[in-house]
Amino acid sequence: MKTYMLACLALLLACCYVMPTLADHHEAGEMEMLQFPESYKAMAVSNGGTISGTVTFEGDVPEMKVLEITKDEAVCGLTEKHDESLVVGEGNALKNTIVYLIDISQGKALDKKTKPEIDQKGCKFTPHVQIVPVGVRLTMLNNDRVNHNVHIFSSVNKPVNKQQTKNRKKMQLAGVKKAEGPVQMKCDIHGWMSAWLAYVPHPYFAVTDEMGKFTLEDVPPGTYQLGYWHEACGTNSKEPATVTVEAGGTVTQDFTLSMKKM
Amino acid sequence: MIRRYQNTIFLTLLLALASVFSVADAQNAPEASEEGKRVYEKSCAHCHGTEGRGDGSAAENLLPRPRDFTRGLYKIRSTETGQVPTDQDLFDIITEGMPGTSMPGWDTSLSANERWEVVAYIKTFYDGFKENTAPRQIDLSGKIAYAEQSIETGKALYTELGCVECHGNVGRGDGTSAPTLTDEWGFQTWPANLAQGWTFRGGSETEDIFKRFIGGIAGSPMPAFEGDSFLHFGLTSEESKRLTELENKDEMTEAEDEESAAFYEKMDAAVDIALRITEGETLNAADRQSFNNAMKVVYEKSWHLANYVKSLSPEKRPEPAIGNNALRSQYIGGELPTLGDAAWETLKASYFPLVGQVILEPRQFNPTIDSVNVKSFYNDNEVAFLFTWDDRTHTTASEDEETGKMLEDAVAIQFPVKVPQGPTAPKPYFLWGGRLPVYLWYWKASAPEQVTELTAKGISNAEVQAVQSDLQAEGTYTDGQYNLWVKRALKTDDKKDLQLEPEVFVPIAFSAWDGANGDVEAKRVISSWYTFVLEPVPSSRRFIYPPLVALLSVGALFGLRGFARRRNS
Repeated sequence: MKTYMLACLALLLACCYVMPTLADHHEAGEMEMLQFPESYKAMAVSNGGTISGTVTFEGDVPEMKVLEITKDEAVCGLTEKHDESLVVGEGNALKNTIVYLIDISQGKALDKKTKPEIDQKGCKFTPHVQIVPVGVRLTMLNNDRVNHNVHIFSSVNKPVNKQQTKNRKKMQLAGVKKAEGPVQMKCDIHGWMSAWLAYVPHPYFAVTDEMGKFTLEDVPPGTYQLGYWHEACGTNSKEPATVTVEAGGTVTQDFTLSMKKM
Repeated sequence: MIRRYQNTIFLTLLLALASVFSVADAQNAPEASEEGKRVYEKSCAHCHGTEGRGDGSAAENLLPRPRDFTRGLYKIRSTETGQVPTDQDLFDIITEGMPGTSMPGWDTSLSANERWEVVAYIKTFYDGFKENTAPRQIDLSGKIAYAEQSIETGKALYTELGCVECHGNVGRGDGTSAPTLTDEWGFQTWPANLAQGWTFRGGSETEDIFKRFIGGIAGSPMPAFEGDSFLHFGLTSEESKRLTELENKDEMTEAEDEESAAFYEKMDAAVDIALRITEGETLNAADRQSFNNAMKVVYEKSWHLANYVKSLSPEKRPEPAIGNNALRSQYIGGELPTLGDAAWETLKASYFPLVGQVILEPRQFNPTIDSVNVKSFYNDNEVAFLFTWDDRTHTTASEDEETGKMLEDAVAIQFPVKVPQGPTAPKPYFLWGGRLPVYLWYWKASAPEQVTELTAKGISNAEVQAVQSDLQAEGTYTDGQYNLWVKRALKTDDKKDLQLEPEVFVPIAFSAWDGANGDVEAKRVISSWYTFVLEPVPSSRRFIYPPLVALLSVGALFGLRGFARRRNS
């Protein structure tokens, strides 16, 4: 009887220990995602402010991994290709970070006329991170004269897997209905090719350039949460930065990121 | 007696009823019930998980992994790309299982009622079923008959569409992209070997293949054939031919310029309509009509391609090498044919199915080698074998990331050291022997012209023979297939070797390793014991006795006639 009760107690303790860890784990997954407002209203913004800044990397910069080209060497192997999950430039500038407003509920209209593109050149996606407004078609270019397939691993929207043969220089993908991101894009034919998309419901998203710089313009005056996402460094969804934008003013918010813990 | 058939009759009726309903309404499963939950948790949850996430306790050992029902990505559907499957699709998979995976058919262990309850229950794991109660089904009405011309057209499309990238030149799943493919969940996955139709997950009828093209295989790297994956989508085949002609011209006249511009405009319009459909727009009648016209060409091309893929496989899985199909080495007067000799084409191969070795650690639960095909000739002094097997990758040396072991493709052909006397005499243990030893020919891809003789008394108790016979070997790898030719003297001086003589039935068994699939040591594919025989030497007496008998018979007939005549006269 005593053993039985002890066993029960042990089980109970084990449960108490395991349950929260499981919950944490689940939460971590959600935290990787971009945060979108429940609704967004477009309006004219006059005398809006600007948020800009620089994202830098902190820590030892690992050497960029050279990708192994396993096929179509004549086209894909012309130049050395690197894993672009972490691109650190001069002064530790961190490229390819998405910086965005988390809790904006009204502001300028989403630009439905924009024509985002991703080029498949030398068996590499360029750019590595692309913002695609909800409902806008993404154009895929193929100047490689080899077959590619565009495979987008959506879970909120329907996954896309479309063959873009060597004959097809330009291929459009249907606009999506729901905000979602980050979503990975891969080419199954060339397994090393990888890029990331964000399908966004409002226009306050930017991707940092080689200098690690970003700019969000025409922000209606107010106080906002400013979030970031980076493939290798993760997000600040748990503790986003707070910025206050004044009419016509410019506010600077820099970020320093380090490698996400495994 | 009637009672015995009652169940069958009832089932047949139910199935017939079900198929009638499926015509009227694709979604015919009952409302989800406690009963469905009970059956699911008893029979399905071990692999698919209680919450349908594909994470049951057995999931880890399975490849492909059990389906995760929560994302609504179903591979085998009769519906168009992006659509949920019909209830009938789900019911059929549960009933028939999926060849080449761990999913068994449940037709004998669950009643039809229970299976329908399970269909209703697994639908509760994904909300998409509620949002889409009438998924668009693939129209099969335009089927193009299986014929030479269609197969030829399909073959050209196989290259044009880039099927070759994953499925390889002749379809053995050995394309250059094959080794790096992963599924939606990041697990390694292999493209189908199109020469082995019996391993197709969703069946190997032309209609099945066609449905995989149009609907895609959700969650896998296999894309659906959307209109603009095809060259000149939106044009008729005549228009497409004309445009190719124009595009190949060095210089175009003004009129030709305008002509091709009109074609491009037409193609852009077709693509735009296709995108608008995906985006959820309801089309007007004119757009619908032009879209249907464009898709008609896509469907025609897909039927041709389906016919081509169908042509790559034998009609059905070959019968295993027993009875009439057993391996019989054929006597030949002079020199034995070498590798590549046309004489091999005159023989029918014996088919030896292989399965993953799951008795001892390390086990192979996810085998990639299906079988080995064998032919053989012998003469007065020697025997030659031709072993043929499909392997998607040519691996001569690759280090296993987990264990650090060197992986490589290999095969071992196993015989007893001593042929058992009579059919009831004990044979050595089929897994590389035990108390009774086995004699082995071991070949590996890194040394294609060498076969090593081993003696083994168990899977981890094999040694290289001190005396190696004068064995000749030559192995090649082309388009996803190994061909290994081996020749040895019928008799050797080594007591540890098998000695061969005509008309004696000899046990034979196989082991094979696919390095790229992690096969090493006990982790491999195996067969049980089969037998082979050196066919009796065709005797020259066949040229004497039959004519003699014929002559005697004719003589007797004449005699009889003479006798009858004399009696009558």
